[in-house]
Amino acid sequence: MNRLQIATVARKELVDHLRDKRTATMIFLLSVLMGPVILIGFATFLSSVEKKAEAREVFIAGAQHAPQLRNFLARQDITVKDPAAGYRDLIKTGKHEAVLEVPKEFEADFAAGKVTLRLVYDDTRQDTGNVAIGVLRRLVRDFNAEVGTQRLIARGVSPQVLRAVELQDVNLGTPQQRAAQLLFMIPFITLIVCVTGCTAVAIDVTAGERERGSLEPLLLNPVNRLSLVAGKWIAVAAYAIGVVALTMAGYALALQFMPLFRLQSVVSISPMQFLGFGITMLSFAPAMGALQMLIATYGRTFKEAQTYVSYLVTAVSMVPMISIFGQLKDATWQLFVPMLGQLMVITRVLRGDRIDAEHFAIPLLVNALICAAAVVAIARLLRREQIIFGRA
Amino acid sequence: MIEARNLGKRFGTVTAVADVSFRAESGAITGLLGPNGAGKTTTVRMIGSLVSIGGGSASVDGIDVAADPMRALQHCGLLTDSRGLYTRLTARENIRYYAQLRGIDATRSERTLARFSDWLDMGAILDRRTDGFSQGERVKVAITRALIHEPENVILDEPTNGLDVMSTRALRELIRRLRAEGRAVLFSSHIMQEVAALCDRIVIIAHGRVVATGSPEEILAESGKTSLEDAFVALAGIESGNPSEPA
Repeated sequence: MNRLQIATVARKELVDHLRDKRTATMIFLLSVLMGPVILIGFATFLSSVEKKAEAREVFIAGAQHAPQLRNFLARQDITVKDPAAGYRDLIKTGKHEAVLEVPKEFEADFAAGKVTLRLVYDDTRQDTGNVAIGVLRRLVRDFNAEVGTQRLIARGVSPQVLRAVELQDVNLGTPQQRAAQLLFMIPFITLIVCVTGCTAVAIDVTAGERERGSLEPLLLNPVNRLSLVAGKWIAVAAYAIGVVALTMAGYALALQFMPLFRLQSVVSISPMQFLGFGITMLSFAPAMGALQMLIATYGRTFKEAQTYVSYLVTAVSMVPMISIFGQLKDATWQLFVPMLGQLMVITRVLRGDRIDAEHFAIPLLVNALICAAAVVAIARLLRREQIIFGRA
Repeated sequence: MIEARNLGKRFGTVTAVADVSFRAESGAITGLLGPNGAGKTTTVRMIGSLVSIGGGSASVDGIDVAADPMRALQHCGLLTDSRGLYTRLTARENIRYYAQLRGIDATRSERTLARFSDWLDMGAILDRRTDGFSQGERVKVAITRALIHEPENVILDEPTNGLDVMSTRALRELIRRLRAEGRAVLFSSHIMQEVAALCDRIVIIAHGRVVATGSPEEILAESGKTSLEDAFVALAGIESGNPSEPA
């Protein structure tokens, strides 16, 4: 390998691709902007859920028939609102929150304990309206408990007879851990950016050379294939790292605006966490770049290579699904699997779990191996006549 | 000096080059003449180490191509039919890239570039991005970048393909200048008139074999024909032959 030649190739590719305005725009829109936009959108969604959970408003049809319930709700500081006309249809189309129906006979049947309240909702609607169901259930349960307790006391019975055991919630999950579950999106998107951020460059330096007919004259220079590929890889890695760094800068910026959404308690990432996040991501990107270069080398044209590379992107996107649907518990072997390892480390970092040396060392080693193996493999491919001359 | 000794190459069951031997001496233009598919391009690619040598051997300035391909490449400049340029780089940057890859310092490469620019009339295009260059402009840039290290041995594979009259004339003039500077020029073409107009020695290849070698006069005498075209047709066996396809 010749260091001067490696540097020459890397510099040329960097300059060449920095001038590629179209790709730069694509990278900016797809990678750099997409993450923060999704993050802000997600945070807005979360805070709206929080707001609804705290909502002091419920919809009750026929509340006028139940003065006892109204009185109870008033003491809970809950505002009762009348549902809109035809609310059942509206609920079905997701345009109305859950409604509690009070029958006309409420007062007459109340003393006998024969009242049935109906909670009307549609659980196939996955929107924030579901929060109202929980609120109404809780309120009715509390109302029951209060009235029941009063009735027992009136009969001289201790309310304790109704409670064989007490149940107390002791949730060990910290708010940060719950946030990590919700913010699963961030590492996922960033990991995808690690792959897609440098795709255009990785394809252009390999299949692009073939398509243009510039590979053959390039190989007529007395340049070792390994030096040539190493130079190209350095350029691709620099791009990959640059794009990921930009994306993370976008997150940092978006997090600055988070307090606007009253989520500072949920999404608070310390500088150390951000650093851990960064190291894991930035070491993953060059490996994905190298892998894409290797795949793209088989493409005679940019388009053909794009198709091949899209298989890799799909495969990588599938990995988190495995981790979700497989209900994987963190285990050391995962650190050896590209993407799975990164995902695990990132989730631990965000969740505030303990990070050991192996969490960084193993994925780093795997990434380094991928880079080295891909570079050597491409250099070997560039000796093949079908690759040098196989033009579309 | 470029020398080929019994070069051979098979691609699967197809024999692209069966037995090719010739010498391209310094200070002379040697024409590699043959119909399409005769094995010219494969021969050139073997000398340039793009294709492994299937049989026999080749050397450049006495350096065995198979044994030390990098050193052999340092001693020659090749222009093949792939002339892709980097369209986001200017002509000058395209040429400079190759100069840097060959470790030539900037002063020397700029001097060589100025000389070629003068010969090939490239002054107006040097600092333009090569996107949208005409075929002629692209070939001029490609040939300059291939020869930026001023090699003693120059191999040009069908350089005038797709060029207009003016560009062809400029290229011919360049080839004569290279000869005058004492370089060995190997010029491959399927156009008989072009080879006849330029070359000191002609190597006629057909079906992967050398069928005749010599000066234009010697070739005429050997074939017993009165015109070089008739001699070429007769020797290359174009009328009766069944040229094999290169891979």
